[in-house]
Amino acid sequence: MIEVNDLKKEYWEEETPTKALCGVTFSVEKGEFVSIMGPSGSGKSTLLHILSFLDRPTGGSYKFQGKSIDEMTDKELAYARNKDMGFVFQSFNLLSRLTVYENVEIPLLYSDISPKKRATLVEEAVQSVGLKEKLYTAAGKLSGGQKQRVAIARALVTKPDIIFADEPTGNLDSQSGLQVMEILESLNDKGHTVVLVTHETQTAEFANRIIKIKDGMIESDKQIIANRHHRENLK
Amino acid sequence: MLFRDAFKTATRSLTHGKMRSILTMLGIVIGIASVIVIMSLSASAEQYIVGQIQSMAPNMVNVQPGAPVMGGAPSSAMGIVIKTLTKRDVEALEREPSITNVAPNVVGESRIVYENKSKSTIWVATTPNIFKMTNLNFSSGYGFTNADENAYRHVVVLGSKIADSLFGDIEPVGKSIRFSDTSFRVIGVLETKGTGIFSMDEYAIIPLSVGQKQLRGIDYYQELNIQFDPTYDSEFVKSRVISVLRTSHHITDPTKDDFMVTSMDETLNMLGNIMSMLTIFLSAIAAISLVVGGIGIMNIMLVSVTERTREIGLRKAVGATDNDILKQFMIESILLTSIGGIIGIIIGAGTVGLAYFILITFFSIGWVFAFPISAVILGLAVSSIAGLAFGIYPARKAGKKNPIDALRYE
Repeated sequence: MIEVNDLKKEYWEEETPTKALCGVTFSVEKGEFVSIMGPSGSGKSTLLHILSFLDRPTGGSYKFQGKSIDEMTDKELAYARNKDMGFVFQSFNLLSRLTVYENVEIPLLYSDISPKKRATLVEEAVQSVGLKEKLYTAAGKLSGGQKQRVAIARALVTKPDIIFADEPTGNLDSQSGLQVMEILESLNDKGHTVVLVTHETQTAEFANRIIKIKDGMIESDKQIIANRHHRENLK
Repeated sequence: MLFRDAFKTATRSLTHGKMRSILTMLGIVIGIASVIVIMSLSASAEQYIVGQIQSMAPNMVNVQPGAPVMGGAPSSAMGIVIKTLTKRDVEALEREPSITNVAPNVVGESRIVYENKSKSTIWVATTPNIFKMTNLNFSSGYGFTNADENAYRHVVVLGSKIADSLFGDIEPVGKSIRFSDTSFRVIGVLETKGTGIFSMDEYAIIPLSVGQKQLRGIDYYQELNIQFDPTYDSEFVKSRVISVLRTSHHITDPTKDDFMVTSMDETLNMLGNIMSMLTIFLSAIAAISLVVGGIGIMNIMLVSVTERTREIGLRKAVGATDNDILKQFMIESILLTSIGGIIGIIIGAGTVGLAYFILITFFSIGWVFAFPISAVILGLAVSSIAGLAFGIYPARKAGKKNPIDALRYE
């Protein structure tokens, strides 16, 4: 599904280059649950942004579902983000004045799905994160955990192949964090590919593969037996 | 993104900050309302003045003594006494087949006295033809005749306001008044015409012979009013009048004309041009507030784009294209100005209605309610274009935002 080869990203600030990624190579198969771990400034978020088509690399190659990012226009990238990808952000990025329903509906507004079908998809997505009773509550009135669950519902409403999560538990208490990870885990069980960025080991261990990044390079890439009993430790 | 969804999203954003949206619209509301009021009132004023001219003096040509100065008013209008219009001219004009009536006149001002009341009044001495030529109706009595004119009878027809101020509830017809040390018998009172440029309410009309010979002691006329057969073209009649007067005055060089002929059509055209220029000028001033309103919209839209940077980032992250974002902000901007435009039109129409009510009720000015549809179309078009013109820059700025930078914006 994802093939990354010698991927590089360089930022220029006042004529001084900063290397965020210095040649990263790996691939992700369909149905995998991958955690990308690393300390702050290691380049893990930059990598996630490139993988999720929010940014472009400055070197190397990236193929998503067999197609190179270099061959895709901005419009095609936007279409792929809408159709094939779901996003969960650390800071939720919900529009607080809108209801849960309206927030979850946002990705569908940019698709060609009919309004009637949209309503069904939104209700299904919200129900799958256990917030059906909050469907018409303003997002601003929800707790942090509930907000992140709404964000997950928004990420999966278009039934994407892959879900990218950037520190999804970073702003949550441990209980809410656990709930969120359980939802991501169940989505993976249902066949969604999940790529997660985190600096927390316990969160990373929900995945069945952990890629560690340091100074823009892969430090280790290990398959693990999903340590799902961690939830018990978190409880 | 479907237009319906973009429209819904834009409406939601605008209703979220109601007070801000209302204040933003205010400039456009004031601008459009001002343009509507100006266009409507000037259209009414034009209709009113043209109506007055047409009702008072249909198929008329006017002759003033003296050549036009610099292509404008005749020298007689500048207070220079010119004695070139005489009885011979009137007789020559009356022989013209296209001309039906000629009414020469002489004007003066005297203090009219009745018992212990007096009033300074302008009197017009003319022939009885004037009653046939203009639509002057009598509230009581009648006008003077050729017999009165030929016999130098001291009779007078009063305008309604003079009659009211001198006689009050007393019937003026049959009473004697004095002016210029001469006694006159009131034989008629004209109907009220209301305030207007051709109102005779404050004039007194007397026989030409009396005014010209006895009161002024002159043998020339100050003006000739000529009525022509409506089957003839006014330009043709004007050319005939010029030709007759040149012959009568032995003028061979047209640059040496000692008179000025104006047709009512020319007067109406000139008036129409003046009114149009005035409307354009005033509308241009009002349009300044539209520009100011438009800049206000642009300012608020720029603030809105900055405030909603993260929202833009999110929308792009979940699949919105540059065009989707541009569309959303453009719709917001056009909605703001269009709603402002509609409110402006309603307020403008209300103000115009109120102005007519005040003019008719308190000033007895019989204005016709003119609300040109062109003003409404112009108002809507201008407000929508303002939204488009002033919204495009902020909307493009929003559309071009990089999703990652937008999502990171604090």
